[in-house]
Amino acid sequence: MTQTALDLKDLRKDFGKTPIIRGVSLSVAAGERHAIIGPNGAGKSTLFHLISGRFPPTSGTVSLHGRDITRLSPFAINRRGLSRSFQVSNIFPRLSVFENVRCAVLWSSGYGYSLWHLIDGLSDVTAKVEQVLAQTGLSQRRDTPASVLTYAEQRALEIGITIAGGADVIMLDEPTAGMSHSETSGAIELIRSVTAGKTLIMVEHDMSVVFDLADRISVLVYGEIIATGTAAEIRANKAVQEAYLGTPAGAA
Amino acid sequence: MISTALRGRSGAIVWILAIGLALLLPEFIPSKAALTKMCLIGIAIIFALSYNVLLGQTGLLSFGHAVYFGVSGFAAIHIINLIGRLQLPIPVFLVPLMAGVVGAVFGLLFGALSTKRHGTAFAMISLAIAELVAASSLILETFFGGESGVTTDRSLGPSFLGIDLVSQSQVYYLIVGWGVVSAGGMYAFTRTPLGRLALAVRDNPERAEFIGYSTRMIRLLAFIVSSFFAGIAGGLAAINYEIMTAANLATAASGTVLIMTYIGGVGYFYGPIIGAIVISLIQLSLSDVTPAWLLYLGILFIVTVLFSPTGIAGLLERHLPPLRAGLFHRLIPSYLLSGAAGLVFCAGAVALLEMNYHVTLNAHEGPLLRLFWLTVDTTQPMAWVLAMLTGVVGFFLFRKTWPYVANAWSDVDMRLRESKP
Repeated sequence: MTQTALDLKDLRKDFGKTPIIRGVSLSVAAGERHAIIGPNGAGKSTLFHLISGRFPPTSGTVSLHGRDITRLSPFAINRRGLSRSFQVSNIFPRLSVFENVRCAVLWSSGYGYSLWHLIDGLSDVTAKVEQVLAQTGLSQRRDTPASVLTYAEQRALEIGITIAGGADVIMLDEPTAGMSHSETSGAIELIRSVTAGKTLIMVEHDMSVVFDLADRISVLVYGEIIATGTAAEIRANKAVQEAYLGTPAGAA
Repeated sequence: MISTALRGRSGAIVWILAIGLALLLPEFIPSKAALTKMCLIGIAIIFALSYNVLLGQTGLLSFGHAVYFGVSGFAAIHIINLIGRLQLPIPVFLVPLMAGVVGAVFGLLFGALSTKRHGTAFAMISLAIAELVAASSLILETFFGGESGVTTDRSLGPSFLGIDLVSQSQVYYLIVGWGVVSAGGMYAFTRTPLGRLALAVRDNPERAEFIGYSTRMIRLLAFIVSSFFAGIAGGLAAINYEIMTAANLATAASGTVLIMTYIGGVGYFYGPIIGAIVISLIQLSLSDVTPAWLLYLGILFIVTVLFSPTGIAGLLERHLPPLRAGLFHRLIPSYLLSGAAGLVFCAGAVALLEMNYHVTLNAHEGPLLRLFWLTVDTTQPMAWVLAMLTGVVGFFLFRKTWPYVANAWSDVDMRLRESKP
């Protein structure tokens, strides 16, 4: 394996007295596409929140490219090159599609909180936004308020916002949830193209998506990873079959 | 903030016309009283625009914006006095800029306390700060001058290029000048990266954090920008009145700017300008006509919140598509009908309110009340019955005729959709 992009060491999170994440250690290599699967309530989204800084872990560490990011705020983690999407579309509803993506581009373009630039003059920003819109297939919807997009378009925008800042570790939380078959295959292609050359960590319920996209899969059950391996290894794993896939193997 | 009406070339024309009108208005209305009123309106416009940087743009509901207006105004009084005492070569027309800096400094100070939170928590902290400053304004007498306030003479400074600010008309043009600079500055602010990010923080602070922005930092910077322009307004107020008192930074003043901005329309850059003009005119003119003017102002605010939350600007914007598509005439008959019924209702309601005010508050003036063009004898039961009848009939007529407006609108909306590709 090459360099490690993301490294979790014995990560734990209790809500009150209830342990939700019970010691997760996981190492994701740079350039790897890693899927986290598991039954409802296994703690997949919580694990995402711990990594991306939404909640501080109770104990354990998260490191990104070898640097400790545990307990950093979400924006600080994002600036170090980790960007995440949300399970429920989390966009800027009253802003246009273009504005949504532009907000995500400004920091990495070096304009941050600038008061000294007029936004319409930033041709580098505009070019980058247009590129993301083209990638996500939203160029036609450029000036539409995000709130009136279709569901699939909102999911595409969610991914667009996530990747626009140029982060090299992308975390997607159920990117195809609620999509139809054709929409899902479109989403798979989108994810494949926008994360090319990047590290991808995704939570996903749709097994066809997982087996299609992921290099390696981790199975999270009751806050613990019970198995990590390739699609074939996971299919063959007895514990996984019992806990998650149901007894007859190959539920994909 | 979406401003569809005042963008592009047609928008530029509207702005130029507005500035031209502001400059020429004293020629059309040469009365001294009118000039005084226009000065107040100009100051109110800058103040309301600065408030909308918080409310409309950053989504922060503040109950204490007058603090930054007031404190800067007091500072401006002291600066002018200092210029006079030390014979400093600083023209007084630059004092609003210094007052703006004072506002920004206080914005940094109090903003650091409050912008960590948003929503209700922010609103409560802003109210607490407002009360704190209002209370200290009565204690810290050296700066705030106690109950009588502090005074100055704006002509104390050096005359510069003939600008000595002795006459009210010079003060008016000073206000127009700073108003154009401030409005231009705040409009430019909406077009900067920070100004755009403020919108993102307003819409969805959580998401903004996850794409690399400290929402707290963006709120704080927007707060400072807003306080700076509130400070300019405060400095102009100091020059205009030549006195600042505790009332200038009281929570009532904060409430007024909130009402102005909201009634004008928080979603549009020019909304607060309309709101400041309308509310100032109500304050200045209606208060001469009736003691119940505050009640009418309150009713107007409630009606706006309930029925037109996008404010006057939102109503205007709603009418632009039919106007552009040449469909506006389809709305006119229903507007006339429903409007007439509404007027009948208002006449009845106003009559009742005025008669009540008259018998309770102005009883010493005798039973006769001048109402519209009539003289009403409030001891006559018939007058009360008629007023009530007018109100009730007007209400029912309005209820009956409102569906025509709704129908006309759905017809117009349908035609608008059809005309689109």
